[in-house]
Amino acid sequence: MPHFSNKKLIILLVGMILLVALISFSLRDRQNATLPEQFIKDSVGLAQSVVAKPANYITGIFYNIQSLLNTYEENQRLKMRLEDFAVLQAEVNTLKSENEQLRELLEKKDSLRDYDPLRATVIARNPDQWEEKIIINKGSSHGVKQNMAVMTTKGLIGKISLVTPFTSEVELLYTNNPNFRVSAMVQGEKVVAFGLIEGYDEERNELILKRIDSSIEISVGEKVVTSGLGGIFPKGILIGEITEVTTEDFGLTKMAYIRPSADFSMLEEVIIAKRSATVIDGSDGDGTNADLTNNTGIPGEGEE
Amino acid sequence: MWIRLTIPFIAIVLFLLEPEFALFSPIEWNGEIIYLVPRFLILYLIFISIYYSRKRAVTYGLFFGLLYDVFYIDIIGLYTVLYPLVCYTAGWSVKYIHQHLSITTILSVVLVALMELILYYFFHFIQFTTLPFKEFLLIRLIPSILANLLYLIMLGWAFKYLIDARVLQKARELS
Repeated sequence: MPHFSNKKLIILLVGMILLVALISFSLRDRQNATLPEQFIKDSVGLAQSVVAKPANYITGIFYNIQSLLNTYEENQRLKMRLEDFAVLQAEVNTLKSENEQLRELLEKKDSLRDYDPLRATVIARNPDQWEEKIIINKGSSHGVKQNMAVMTTKGLIGKISLVTPFTSEVELLYTNNPNFRVSAMVQGEKVVAFGLIEGYDEERNELILKRIDSSIEISVGEKVVTSGLGGIFPKGILIGEITEVTTEDFGLTKMAYIRPSADFSMLEEVIIAKRSATVIDGSDGDGTNADLTNNTGIPGEGEE
Repeated sequence: MWIRLTIPFIAIVLFLLEPEFALFSPIEWNGEIIYLVPRFLILYLIFISIYYSRKRAVTYGLFFGLLYDVFYIDIIGLYTVLYPLVCYTAGWSVKYIHQHLSITTILSVVLVALMELILYYFFHFIQFTTLPFKEFLLIRLIPSILANLLYLIMLGWAFKYLIDARVLQKARELS
């Protein structure tokens, strides 16, 4: 055993106390990074994005080789779907124009569906993958704000959890944070069922959609998209597909397991969706009844 | 001159490479999703601690641990303590074991496994994860350790070569 002198012991104890204080300070649900943190994050982020460029290039080569090997099979599959696609495209176009006309008729301008896309490159992933998050190279100076939805071309992957001037952190859907909820809806054949995505099953690696009205029939294979009702995300971003439907613990509502459509393992380019409609401020669901509206003047909401 | 700068330079490169490799993970293997956690930097620091200087390794550990905490983890004080602690333990063990490359490799991997274990209990304690221990062992610890062992087998000799070069250089400067 090493011998401790009194002085060393005191330093050790003070160190321990400082450590506990620091950890508990940083464990709080913080909305903003402190100034030294922002400085470190931005400078490391700068170095990181320099390294990320060649790294992305190399992984790109591997990916290209892999896709080259599958070309034939993929081509055949795609050819089959191409015919369906033409029909679908025509249908979408008519629906779109019809939607626009109806909107004009109603004089309703902003839809929950509208958003401004902002492209960003993933520069890092939290290496010790305990908390699922990635770091991207766009920050508050590019107009990124907290709680914006982040997606790939395939579907929703998460939301912005922390912003510094030149980088921001994205909390992925695969998180154990109980406050991370996404209001979602199941696009059924006839009716639409609303629910909340709350957490994920670590053993199945699937998301859990809870609080679905038990009178609504939903089935395996149906698509789940964001509903835009949580006040943060735009409407209609694809989340995934239902793989199993069960009843929740108390039997009052249904829950479903969802396989996400986005691929979480090789994230390179992401799109930040800046919602055009009024955004409700604040973290979603910290159990308070505080007025979360940003006083942006929704007509008919009553004066203060 | 350049050997002197190479040692911190490699530490920086490894620090920046870790998250790039983390982008590959999790991977699907035999129907199981497994996580590979790159621990390049700490393995390198353990080598420095054993072959070069414990004090230097602890200083590097403190610096990079702090960066790691602020940039990736957002829990300040976790890696800031664990990195120097692991380096210190590695340097302390030099007195009791033989410094052969294979033994150092095994010792480094064991130390990293211990660190992972501590991290698991910490994150379990603060409820960041609900992963049962057995699952943790199967999908995180064992695959990560194997991957890091592979990395060390490939690059361990290079680290030793570089550090030995630096030690020799220092000895020459002194004489």
